[in-house]
Amino acid sequence: MDKQFQDLYKLNQQFSENPGNLKKQRFIEDEQIRFQTDLPYRPSNMTYFENIMYNRDFSSGAKPRVGYFCNMIPQELIYAFGAQPVRLDCGNAAGALIGEEVLCGDICPLAKSSFGAFLNKNSIANSCDILILPTSCDAKRKMGEILNDIKPVFMLNLPPEQNHERFARQTYLEFLRLAEFLRKNLKLKLSGRNLRKYLKLGQQRSLLVREIQKIRTINPRALSMCDFFLIIQSSMFRPVDLEDWIEQTKIACDEIKRFKPPRKSLRTKLVLTGAPIIWPNYKVLNLFEECGADILADTLCTGAQSCFDPVISGEWTNGSILRALANRYVYASACPCFISQNTRINRILELVDETGAEGVVNYSLRLCQLFDIENYRIDQVLKSKKIPYINIRTDYSLEDREQLRVRIEAFLEIF
Amino acid sequence: MITAGIDVGSTTIKVVVLNEDKIIGQMIVPSGTLPAKTAQDTFDKCCEANRLNKSDIEAVAATGYGRRLAKFGDMVITEIKACALGAVFTKSPYGNIGTIIDIGGQDTKVIALNEKGDIEDFAMNDKCAAGTGRFLEMLANKLELSYVDFISAALQSKTMIHMNSTCAVFAESEVISLLARNIDKSDIAAAAHNAISDRICSMVRRVSSKEVICLTGGGAKNKALANSIEEGLNKRIYIPDNPQTIVALGAAIAAQNKIIKGEENAF
Repeated sequence: MDKQFQDLYKLNQQFSENPGNLKKQRFIEDEQIRFQTDLPYRPSNMTYFENIMYNRDFSSGAKPRVGYFCNMIPQELIYAFGAQPVRLDCGNAAGALIGEEVLCGDICPLAKSSFGAFLNKNSIANSCDILILPTSCDAKRKMGEILNDIKPVFMLNLPPEQNHERFARQTYLEFLRLAEFLRKNLKLKLSGRNLRKYLKLGQQRSLLVREIQKIRTINPRALSMCDFFLIIQSSMFRPVDLEDWIEQTKIACDEIKRFKPPRKSLRTKLVLTGAPIIWPNYKVLNLFEECGADILADTLCTGAQSCFDPVISGEWTNGSILRALANRYVYASACPCFISQNTRINRILELVDETGAEGVVNYSLRLCQLFDIENYRIDQVLKSKKIPYINIRTDYSLEDREQLRVRIEAFLEIF
Repeated sequence: MITAGIDVGSTTIKVVVLNEDKIIGQMIVPSGTLPAKTAQDTFDKCCEANRLNKSDIEAVAATGYGRRLAKFGDMVITEIKACALGAVFTKSPYGNIGTIIDIGGQDTKVIALNEKGDIEDFAMNDKCAAGTGRFLEMLANKLELSYVDFISAALQSKTMIHMNSTCAVFAESEVISLLARNIDKSDIAAAAHNAISDRICSMVRRVSSKEVICLTGGGAKNKALANSIEEGLNKRIYIPDNPQTIVALGAAIAAQNKIIKGEENAF
């Protein structure tokens, strides 16, 4: 296997002693937990999911840990090697300030925040043994290069187009190369049985998320979008026992199913699209909750969309499963990093239709070119279909809540 | 039916009392440091000045940045919706309003309307002073001119000089260096107006520049600014009477509409 990176000018790992900032990071998490605790109608086992996200003990467990970014990396494959996958995209506003010490300030807050985590000795990022990054955006590509100096990094080359005919074989070969990388660096073997086991668990997760989404479409008050995101993200962003998670989510789902709204809900129904919203950066979700709107569905790689598509494999051979993983993780992705936005726009229109939503919200992360430029097309398409639309453009900072609030309130006054 | 609208802004508080289709009272006062108290006081004073009992007023709608501070209000509405309602109510003599530009002390809004007068789209600049009334205030101060003299000076300018700064704070230093180069105060004043008008015009173009373009807010009373925007957009600008109280007027209309709707539903 040829090397992806050249080790000619290796950098030393830097750490940043920053107790004030770590306190601030904790404070932001506390605030978010507090906000969600005050939500009406929560399943009784929400603390299980909260504890997973809030836990700060990242000491390595029994299994080696594989950190990954974005939603194009197959968790099932990592599990099949007997390792624990952890998604490292960071959602802490204070974390972005740490990242700025090394990286330029004018880049995506997600990149700064995620990179900043590596400057903290005790972070979950540093507790990982190896890292996987897709070539989904410039920030990820360059971060992968830098991170390779501190941990073995695998960069998954994504096709620039979601064109199955043209790129399916290349993607399959990339996934094969990933499997080889995992085998070599974890010094573990791929267990066919585990692969099939986690495939089934992944399908169960997908079914649960779909079911909850269906319930929320009819009964949005049964579960707040903030809690739904928390439940979903706790299965990816922290080391979790997937079987436990599925069991707890089933319990929550049953409770949600039995929820009877006390009165008719007059809150505006919306579909959310756009950039990743990662705990504890639920600022925009909180605002919609407070302003009296319900988000029924989303196309976010960190929301329901991330688990929506199950991996469907026709045959149970490892090769067939790898192809199925590639199809689901790469070709079903709604990320704007691919040329041709039909996947995403079709998905938005499909969701509006299915859920009966009255409008669409686009959440765009300031300094992300992909989402910034995307906004134009979505605006024009939705306008032509007379679907009310608003673009909320912000970064991770918590200071612009009131500015966003007046925009959201003005948008909701249209209905 | 008498309703009132109160616009609790960051710089000034405006009250408008409306009787059906006639404005029977209005008042503008600085917000000061205790806007909640000032809002209540202003409302009381406005009623007194127009010999109205508070019980004569059927409903009060609060809007503006401090809309939730005016706790005595009966409903809350954003300044965007209120601005649209107020502007359309003034019945532009040039035809339907397509775009509203509201230039406030600390924010600027552009609102696109459809033929029915409903809001189609909007954008706000409320994160940066360069593009708001504050920018001009700061520069008038730097030139040691009263705001009124600052505007007259701008109107007298014959040359076009360009200010480079995109930031209101750095613009202050730029004014000092222009003065040092013996540039006329009137030319600097004109340049300041052009700078803010450029920013406003590019915001307008991003949202909508459909005619008729209506200018509201305190900034609309500034003739030099209005001229600069008119030139920048190359479209006709309509400035209603009392542009600064349009949002409060819109709030009063919103209260009226709500009452009428309630009466309709009762039958």
